[in-house]
Amino acid sequence: MDTLMQYAWLIPLFPLLAFIVIVSFGRQLKEGAAAVGILLTAVSFGLAALTFWQRFQEGASDYAFSLDWLQVGDIVITMGFEVNQLNAMMLVIVTLVSLLVQIYSKGYMHGDERFPVFYQYLALFTFSMLGLVISPNLLQVYIFWELVGVCSFLLVGYYYFKPEAKAAAKKAFIVTRIGDLGLFIGICLLFWWTGSFEFAQIFDSIALGKLEPWMITLAAILIFVGAVGKSGQFPLHTWLPDAMEGPTPVSALIHAATMVAAGVYLVAVTYPLFVASDIALNVVAYVGGFTAIFAASIGLTQRDIKRVLAYSTVSQLGYMMLALGVAGAAGYVAGTFHLMTHAFFKALLFLAAGSVIHAVHTQDVFEMGGLWKKMPVTALTFLIGCLAIAGIFPFAGFWSKEAILSAVYEAHRFDLLWLAIIAAFFTAFYMFRLFFLTFAGEPRGRHDGHESPGVMTGPLLILAVLAIGAGFVNTPYAPYLTEWLLSGETGEVITAAFGEGTGHAAAWLQVVALLVSLLGIVLAYLMYGKRYIPADAIPETMPWLYQLSYRKYFIDELYHHVIVRPLNWLGLLLDLFDRYVVDGLVALTASITRGIGSLHARAQNGQVQSYGAVVLFGLLLLVVAISLTAQGGGFFGQ
Amino acid sequence: MTGEFLAFFILSLLTIGGAVFMISFTRVVHMVISLGITFISIAGLFILLDAEFIGVAQVLVYSGAISILMLFGIMLTKHDASDEGTGRSWKNIFSLVFVAGLFGLMFWGIQKTTWTAPPEGAAQAVSVKQLGVEIFTKYVIPFELASVLLLVALVGAIIMAKKEGDSE
Amino acid sequence: MSVNITSYLLVALILFCVGLYGALTKRNAVVVLLSIELMLNAVNINLVAFAKYGLFPAVTGQIFTLFTMTVAAAEVAVGLAILIALYRNKVTVNVDEMDSMKR
Repeated sequence: MDTLMQYAWLIPLFPLLAFIVIVSFGRQLKEGAAAVGILLTAVSFGLAALTFWQRFQEGASDYAFSLDWLQVGDIVITMGFEVNQLNAMMLVIVTLVSLLVQIYSKGYMHGDERFPVFYQYLALFTFSMLGLVISPNLLQVYIFWELVGVCSFLLVGYYYFKPEAKAAAKKAFIVTRIGDLGLFIGICLLFWWTGSFEFAQIFDSIALGKLEPWMITLAAILIFVGAVGKSGQFPLHTWLPDAMEGPTPVSALIHAATMVAAGVYLVAVTYPLFVASDIALNVVAYVGGFTAIFAASIGLTQRDIKRVLAYSTVSQLGYMMLALGVAGAAGYVAGTFHLMTHAFFKALLFLAAGSVIHAVHTQDVFEMGGLWKKMPVTALTFLIGCLAIAGIFPFAGFWSKEAILSAVYEAHRFDLLWLAIIAAFFTAFYMFRLFFLTFAGEPRGRHDGHESPGVMTGPLLILAVLAIGAGFVNTPYAPYLTEWLLSGETGEVITAAFGEGTGHAAAWLQVVALLVSLLGIVLAYLMYGKRYIPADAIPETMPWLYQLSYRKYFIDELYHHVIVRPLNWLGLLLDLFDRYVVDGLVALTASITRGIGSLHARAQNGQVQSYGAVVLFGLLLLVVAISLTAQGGGFFGQ
Repeated sequence: MTGEFLAFFILSLLTIGGAVFMISFTRVVHMVISLGITFISIAGLFILLDAEFIGVAQVLVYSGAISILMLFGIMLTKHDASDEGTGRSWKNIFSLVFVAGLFGLMFWGIQKTTWTAPPEGAAQAVSVKQLGVEIFTKYVIPFELASVLLLVALVGAIIMAKKEGDSE
Repeated sequence: MSVNITSYLLVALILFCVGLYGALTKRNAVVVLLSIELMLNAVNINLVAFAKYGLFPAVTGQIFTLFTMTVAAAEVAVGLAILIALYRNKVTVNVDEMDSMKR
């Protein structure tokens, strides 16, 4: 029954084919490029779904395939792919969301001049992300990791004529680069210590105890730094909100569902490494937990609809890291479960927001309002997304968030539990603030809203269904996902280390979570829906608190002054050094040579007598030399 | 103090004196005259060396023809060129140094070499007849070539010195 | 004291060096030619001296001298002709000004 998994390597190739076709024929195709992209991604999705279904059959072992690629001395580096539980799930998620976004973009990007270019980049991105998830070794992961970063850069800077978009693209690339550096060093260290890039071999080395504890911790933390960059955790979170300069479908695909999830995926796929180091797990958990509440607190005050969603993404990713970090089989499952549900409802939220933006031509929520009647489908799906993310029963988010809280509780991390619950409250609050400001009340905007075309609402509806139903794969009463995820080889390592978590221990925790979220919704309703409590209450009484949140805790300014400006000065200094010292030396050498040349040229003065004098001198030298060296002492001898 | 020695002494004094004066005079005509004296003294030296024919040839060719030729040359070029000094430039100082070096080197070489006396009986006074026989038997080809050379030099000199533009 | 070969060689050497100095330093081209003649004469003295006092005294030295005299005469003629032609073009006989082969 392995037959279908053998062809898993084809899954990334269809989007690559789409990329090549669109690059070659984009100009002729124009909006037909969408059809190419959609079709080939659909084929990929079909194949991914079949592979996933195959993995469901019990007894299917992890499938791995590799080719020798490079030989350096004794070491052989291979390229290949593997299919295991985590992979298969990611393949389905990525292809499905990519497919839906591409369908949506046909409507959203309609009329854009560079329409084929957009689909090109989307196809390239899909290829890279799919390649990343089926990689069996760290080197391949790194290659696709960088490719994904490049695609993000291209897509964020899609509107390259806007200076903010250019700056945002650069920022995204550079900030993630910092994370990538950590990842790269981690990979190099692991290669140095274990002699291989392959996951299987690295995990074996750890299991056999070949690595010292400090080595494992260091490598794990460095790999986590890479994840921090890509997933926008504190302190490398600053690029994600700015990346909203890209078109909304891009935000939905990359910065909500897939690329930012790559960080979480990385931690999950190298989980045996983290399992072996408590310190690394703590780092993951605390960074994740802090980020969750930090980003949520910023999202409370933002005006731009996409930025609120961006901070929400950062916050939810923090949740996933928190879950992975508190250890335990429960944490691993909860983190990956939330990854899946988040992909669906966040993509839904972004696409719905895009639909709104497309209609009213503004992104400022204070200029929207009263769109419920004018855009019913969008409004309904957005509401479903908000309910899902706020964790209301029985939507998907409820089950996954509750799984995380349970895992944290089981691990007895009460400090983190408090952080998580407060962050949940904030999440519910700001999401519904967004909802009420956008859809309820009187229209404040200048443009009349109208419903978006079917090609855009279709994906919204599909994602809404998933946002409702995806949670049921892992309820406490029927933990299908848990059993399935932990049945693979990685799962065995985890359960061996931590034992099988009972998964969802306390029923009271479910109730508490639900209540907290409902509280947030009610507060938002009172402040923004019915306006019983004035929205300006806090900004007026505690302006500094409001400013802290609105200005994102001034972190961007801090980075600019502490890091960017000194680096610019350093660059200037080095440029001057290069120009005057290095170039100066070269020019000096050249001028010295030229000087010597012109000096000697003066000897050619055209006068025969000078030449004669020189000849005489030469003759003298010759005679002296011969007389000194001739046989028998020569001239001056004896 | 033989007569030979005395004669040699006087003649070499005249020779070297003439040469040195030639160098140090400023007016070109004076130079030619002192050079003429040098040539005649050299002829005397030749005679002292039992080379009478060469001595006479020297008088005829050098002090006779060549000195006059030089005077003609002076006349046809700047004949009132009187200022003929050597400057104190770098080139001149170097030349002086080098020439002095050459002199010193050769002097030392001459002193160092042991000049063996010629074997007895080999030195005979060379007569003109002997000279003639040698030229027309052993060295007849160079002799003929020398005459060709003179012809070529004659023709060449005439062509070079002719005024340009003459086409007759 | 006898007059042996070294004396004649010394005389010739002095004449040669004087002539060489003149050839290398004088500014008037005619004077340079004069100095060259001086050098040739020095050579002649050498040749004749060796013809009489050398290792193998023979008449060859004198014959050689005759030939050098011939060549010297030819050279003077041609040299002066060149000088006259040059004077016609440059109206100067100053060798310092004849530097068209300058860099």
